[in-house]
Amino acid sequence: MLQPDLVRLLTEGHVLVKSCDEDCLTGNTQEPRQSEGEEGEEGNPFNFTPQLIHLNKDHQLFEDGDIHRHMYLQDLYISEAEDKPTLSVSEFACHISGCSAIFSTLEEYEHHYNSLHRHVCCSCRRSLPSARLLDIHIQEWHDSLFTILSQRQDMYQCLVEGCGQKFSTSKHRKGHLIKIHKYPPDFRFDKTKKDKGNRQTKKQPQKDTTMDVVDDVCESEGVCEVMCDGLSHQPEQEESMETHGSEEEAARMAKSASTEEHADLNAAAPSTESSSSDPLEPRYSYRVPTNVCFGRGSVRGFRGRRGRRK
Amino acid sequence: MWRLNKVRHKAGRPGDSVEELKLKRREHEKALRQARRDRQLVSKRLLLNDDEDQSEVTMDTNSGEQDVVAVLQKLHHSGPERDTHLKALSKALRDPSAQLTFIKQENSMHLLVGLLTGSDATCRLQAVRCLHELSHSPHTSVASACLPASPYLLTYLSGQSTKFTELCLYTLGNLCPDSVVKEKLLAQGIVPALASCLENQRHNLAVVEAVGFTLSQLLQANNAAEKIIPMVLASSLPSHLLSVLTPDPKFGLGPAIECAWCIHYLTCSMKDHRVLLAQGALLQCSSLLVSLGGAVAEGNKEEGMELLICPLLRCVGNLLSSCPLTDLSAQMGDVRIVVALCALLQAFLHTQPALARESAWVLNNLTAHSRALCSALLTLNLVPGLIQLLPFSQGINTMILRVLANIAHNKKDFCVQLAHRGLLSALCATLKMADQEMVTLSMDVLFMLVVSSPQVAEEFVKQGGLSLLEATQYNSEGEIRQRATHLLEHHLLS
Repeated sequence: MLQPDLVRLLTEGHVLVKSCDEDCLTGNTQEPRQSEGEEGEEGNPFNFTPQLIHLNKDHQLFEDGDIHRHMYLQDLYISEAEDKPTLSVSEFACHISGCSAIFSTLEEYEHHYNSLHRHVCCSCRRSLPSARLLDIHIQEWHDSLFTILSQRQDMYQCLVEGCGQKFSTSKHRKGHLIKIHKYPPDFRFDKTKKDKGNRQTKKQPQKDTTMDVVDDVCESEGVCEVMCDGLSHQPEQEESMETHGSEEEAARMAKSASTEEHADLNAAAPSTESSSSDPLEPRYSYRVPTNVCFGRGSVRGFRGRRGRRK
Repeated sequence: MWRLNKVRHKAGRPGDSVEELKLKRREHEKALRQARRDRQLVSKRLLLNDDEDQSEVTMDTNSGEQDVVAVLQKLHHSGPERDTHLKALSKALRDPSAQLTFIKQENSMHLLVGLLTGSDATCRLQAVRCLHELSHSPHTSVASACLPASPYLLTYLSGQSTKFTELCLYTLGNLCPDSVVKEKLLAQGIVPALASCLENQRHNLAVVEAVGFTLSQLLQANNAAEKIIPMVLASSLPSHLLSVLTPDPKFGLGPAIECAWCIHYLTCSMKDHRVLLAQGALLQCSSLLVSLGGAVAEGNKEEGMELLICPLLRCVGNLLSSCPLTDLSAQMGDVRIVVALCALLQAFLHTQPALARESAWVLNNLTAHSRALCSALLTLNLVPGLIQLLPFSQGINTMILRVLANIAHNKKDFCVQLAHRGLLSALCATLKMADQEMVTLSMDVLFMLVVSSPQVAEEFVKQGGLSLLEATQYNSEGEIRQRATHLLEHHLLS
């Protein structure tokens, strides 16, 4: 038996379920859903209603069945044993505006999203590989309070989790990272603000008219736009970075499809490169319009805005 | 009578390998799909003599044409061996070019009609066989050339000879699609003739199958809704068609298949189904689906079953679209229909995905307005099986998601039950699918679930829902962004 449960249900005579009469009594009722707890909930965009669908003879949904019928009429019937039609599975796609990546499995999608879109800075659209680095980035780049405080005390944290040391300048921190934690001198996630340079935006915002424009970067997390591939691909990014069995990120190196910064996140990457490399070329510009805000970074950057979030 | 246990390869020749046959069949299928797109999907059936096999059909064009001319000459000179000549003629007329040659010969049809209506019964049978071969021609000129015979073919439908009646019927059925012929046949009373034939020969299943085929050819016409369908609905045909829907185990599925397709063509071309509903069409079709579903669930998949299940599904689906809710219980009665549909979904998912898709469509129409049926899906624990179908595309998952949305739309309690059965985590995946319709529907269902109870909202947050929705706030579609924001702001974070 293929489906014993269903067989049982089908052969048990009339199944004892609330009869269809219930429909007659209550009619076609919909319990009001919209006014859940809040008054005046305007602009509820959800508008699903059940629909009876009538299909006429030529409808697309009927095509395969019709063909099967006519093949039978013309003595070309194909039995199941002979013909194996392919059942297709839905693909997944990254729907972030501007990104059009498609994946055949959910895992691939998750990997893509986590790598490219999860920890994105609101102000400069830079993607960082972890929440912690994003926090540090925002703090050091976009927090004016930090700038002030760092003039008087050591504010630059060591990037290695658990180290806890702080430094007066980013240069000092960099030296510490190289000397103590054996980081490469051109570690991508330790750029100083001055090194940002020019960032080319390849794609313009696509749907200006339909998006809520936010006046102030800090104010609203309303409808926003993410520029995923607006970063230029600099040659330096091709320099090989040691990938020594880092805890989670080894697989990421294989998926370097994006144009954003992407490197392994090893705690200790032994590097034999000398620290006297060429001065890093400026890469990113501040030509991001101030009225574009995106990414979770926006939330993190505004302390106290969403207290509940972890 | 069509023997399903024999798979015939009309396109192939003896000696074709399996691969070649597959190739030809695929080409044929492509041609049919194109014809359907052009709204010219028409088929003819060829009734073979009982003693012959398809493999005997060879396409030797040259000799066919010469044979026709030669045999005709012999026939013109009346003699005792006419039936032999006629037999030779029918063999020769298998060839399409011979068919053309025949109609070009002077007085050829006149001769044939004379033999068809003559006093010699054997000659009549052979003559109708010749006409049957001619009716199979793809050329419209041949079809119109057969017109002089049509009133006689119709008259003979009330006769008692099974084989003869069958041949008349299939000949008429093959000729029907031609518009000129169709107009004439309608004027000559083909609908009443078919009605009385079916009524009188209800127990002769071979004839029933033939009537069904012929009627289906009439009903398939693109303009059938104008004249033909009202005519048919006004006759006794619908009730008789419904009465022969249950397949006879000994005879096979053939008659039921043809009649089911007739009813399908009747239901899909109109929105007003009062006549059919009054005659219990919905009840009959749905109870038949229940028993077929049971057979399928047990693993007894008779070959060709899907040819019957398909039109039944369509009848139920379309009849539901116009059945008033108050009548639903009288018309449907048995909630086991949802069980049957789930059984069909599972059974045919991999072998006939189109059938799975159509089953899902019927399930949508069933659950759209009936709380009882939605409740049945939950109570009978059919929902997890439905959720498992959400990865499958080409219309299956969108329809299934609609069904789940229908359930959620009913009551908050249903939403809670859906969430308990794993719909939340399924939605976290479907929200990431490439198909925009899936994403929109997923948002709608998510909304209904989340607002139904704080527990569900909490559970959603636990599953990482907040970051999922935040990501959705950057969706390329404005409507989706709106929905995500609304959900976050009004229901999850406030």
